[in-house]
Amino acid sequence: MKRTAATKESFFQAFTRGDAGVKLTALFWGAGCLVRRQTGKGLLLLLEQTVLLLCVLLTLPFLRKLPTLGTVQAERIWDPVARRNVWNDYDNSFLILLFGVICLLLIGLYLLKTLQMVKAARQAEQTAAVGGQLPTLRQDAGRLLHQDFHRTLLFLPVAGVTLVMAIPLLVMILIAFTNYDRSHLVPTNLFTWVGLDNFRLLTSLANSSAFAYAFPRVLGWTLLWAVSATLSCYFGGILMAMLVNHRRTVAKPFWRTCFMVAMAVPQFVSLLLVRNLFADVGIINTLCKQWGVTDWLYRIGAIPTAGVIPFLTHPSWARPMILLINFWVGVPYQMLIATGVLINIPRELTEAARIDGANALQVFRRITLPYILHITGPSLISGMVANVNNFNVIWLLSRDVYVTTDQQLAAAGATEVDLLVTWLYRLTQDQSNYKMASVIGLLVFLVCSALTLVTFSRITGRGREEAFQ
Amino acid sequence: MKRRALLPGILHHGLLLILAALWLTPILWLVLTSFGVDEGPNLRTFFPQALTLRHYRELLSSSGSVSSFPAWFTNTLIVAVFTCLLSTVSVLSTAYAMSFLRFRGRKVLMKAAVLLNLFPGFLGMIAVYFILREAGLTNTLAGLVIVYSGGAAVDYLIAKGFFDTVSRSLREAAWLEGANEWIVFRRIILPLARPIVVYTVISSFLYPWMDFVYASIIMSSGIAMDKTVALGLFSLVDKVNRNRYFAQFCAGGVIVSMPISVLFIIMQKFYVEGITGGSVKG
Repeated sequence: MKRTAATKESFFQAFTRGDAGVKLTALFWGAGCLVRRQTGKGLLLLLEQTVLLLCVLLTLPFLRKLPTLGTVQAERIWDPVARRNVWNDYDNSFLILLFGVICLLLIGLYLLKTLQMVKAARQAEQTAAVGGQLPTLRQDAGRLLHQDFHRTLLFLPVAGVTLVMAIPLLVMILIAFTNYDRSHLVPTNLFTWVGLDNFRLLTSLANSSAFAYAFPRVLGWTLLWAVSATLSCYFGGILMAMLVNHRRTVAKPFWRTCFMVAMAVPQFVSLLLVRNLFADVGIINTLCKQWGVTDWLYRIGAIPTAGVIPFLTHPSWARPMILLINFWVGVPYQMLIATGVLINIPRELTEAARIDGANALQVFRRITLPYILHITGPSLISGMVANVNNFNVIWLLSRDVYVTTDQQLAAAGATEVDLLVTWLYRLTQDQSNYKMASVIGLLVFLVCSALTLVTFSRITGRGREEAFQ
Repeated sequence: MKRRALLPGILHHGLLLILAALWLTPILWLVLTSFGVDEGPNLRTFFPQALTLRHYRELLSSSGSVSSFPAWFTNTLIVAVFTCLLSTVSVLSTAYAMSFLRFRGRKVLMKAAVLLNLFPGFLGMIAVYFILREAGLTNTLAGLVIVYSGGAAVDYLIAKGFFDTVSRSLREAAWLEGANEWIVFRRIILPLARPIVVYTVISSFLYPWMDFVYASIIMSSGIAMDKTVALGLFSLVDKVNRNRYFAQFCAGGVIVSMPISVLFIIMQKFYVEGITGGSVKG
């Protein structure tokens, strides 16, 4: 603890009060260390600085083109030397955007590191001035396993998340403000900044854009889906858990396994299977026809064409069917969680209520349900967020099966059963409409943030974290 | 007393039986179709006319342009092993750092993780695809491993929640014995946190087997040998192949479902153990 004898100073104080070594550190990171004969550390810092600066220099040409996202269109030109057509030295808007952003981040990182270096150098100066011992390189390395252990632990995760999630997301968010779509595909074409035009496309009613028509419909279904899918599975799971764990039930593990098998089969197997089960030319349709169900449904006007129940192909059937199939997939999972909670309900509570003359329904309403809600209630909100992003169920059930007859929806690349996320996927994979996909991605973010704002304070809020410690 | 309880008991188990039948019928159909004689979906009857092992034989020896199950299985297994290693290390390190260590920037990182989780995952994946393409990593298993394990750390909250319940006094006692933070993590906390370690290992191992979206973006070449199990089986039931390969799809479904569901059920057991008590409390 001797080392921290120095008082805390801001960067400017450290820089102005520090000696030549400290001042030089602002230019050459290792300078302070070299002056104080920490040669190994000094050289390492210099190496780190060189690498970082090299990266900045490599990406700088992209940063310079970032304001325009490139001006040189790709074309084939005659090369008199090679005697054939070759591609010119064209700009790639996407790479300019990507590496421009990376360059900006690197510059920010460089400045931040420089501030830290100068402050550290000043502290070392002060420690040396009062005759303190400066740590050797070996001691510094040792700190990485104790005082600085978080650096060791977090290096891989932070690097991974930054490269695979944060930077790509940042780039995709920026694409919402460009015209990157089918007619501006890289590398043969350029795209450029368009400000808020894409957002206007979603909202304006004047220019009768297909997106303005599709957006409220898809958003409405997404919210309806999120709420009903979450609630149905949640309460279905609780009821099923109570049924299976009832004291009358014989062979509880057997029943539990029965339901869990359906959940444990990977979704792409079970959902693709169910979709064939319920196909227009599928076994359920055959059976319904044999049993006369199809004819009866046609007579009461529940199906539009005779002979076929359009389980997954007609809007008024597909939506409830998808919810039902999701119920089938999701209930066992909730049952499992509710079982864990149910087992932990203090028996005295229910016993006492029974002795006081409460019947089964009253015990459920007054004790069991409030107890489960108290413990798993917050998971309802995260469950809704998960369902807003529930790509698998909708995608696997509707891809290649559900075709919309609504021309305006089709023009926007959406269908009646699409969630915002599956719409986003369709836009990128089928239509290469990256700009609108990006706009919709931002909207999904807004919906999820609104839902999470409640739980957010719970996760990082004061008090709760230390409650068990 | 006994007579009165008989009727509710029968009704009770009758209801359970109906529900179990509802939940198991599609699975039964999967198994039946995989052993049935029809190549496509059997549209006439629920039960197949005759049974055969042909589809399993064809599937397991397939290496064609449509079906090449052995290659899919190997691909997915390789990706799953490496993803499992990298993701587990990422998740557990992050969870330990956030739960036990106090350092500058901790809250900022935690908030950043919450924020990142609010975006739909494959919005960023589109950019990742272009980055991997520049690096020549699309349609490679390495690319998939990067995609699956790179962002794994943002899902550290379950493990952190478990670590939060582990007593702090153990750690301080170990310090007095001269152990550093690394030894505490490795020798004391990880063994205590066995349920959550097992949960993390299994869930990250299973991810590549279950994922369909990311694989479809990164492995977009359409070459059968490049696919993962999920992508491959999906291609067997698309519009073109369904009538020829549906039974093989079912056979493949049965084959991958067995190990996966066993692992899945083990994982759920540890998960429930991890979140609902039974854990180490100080």
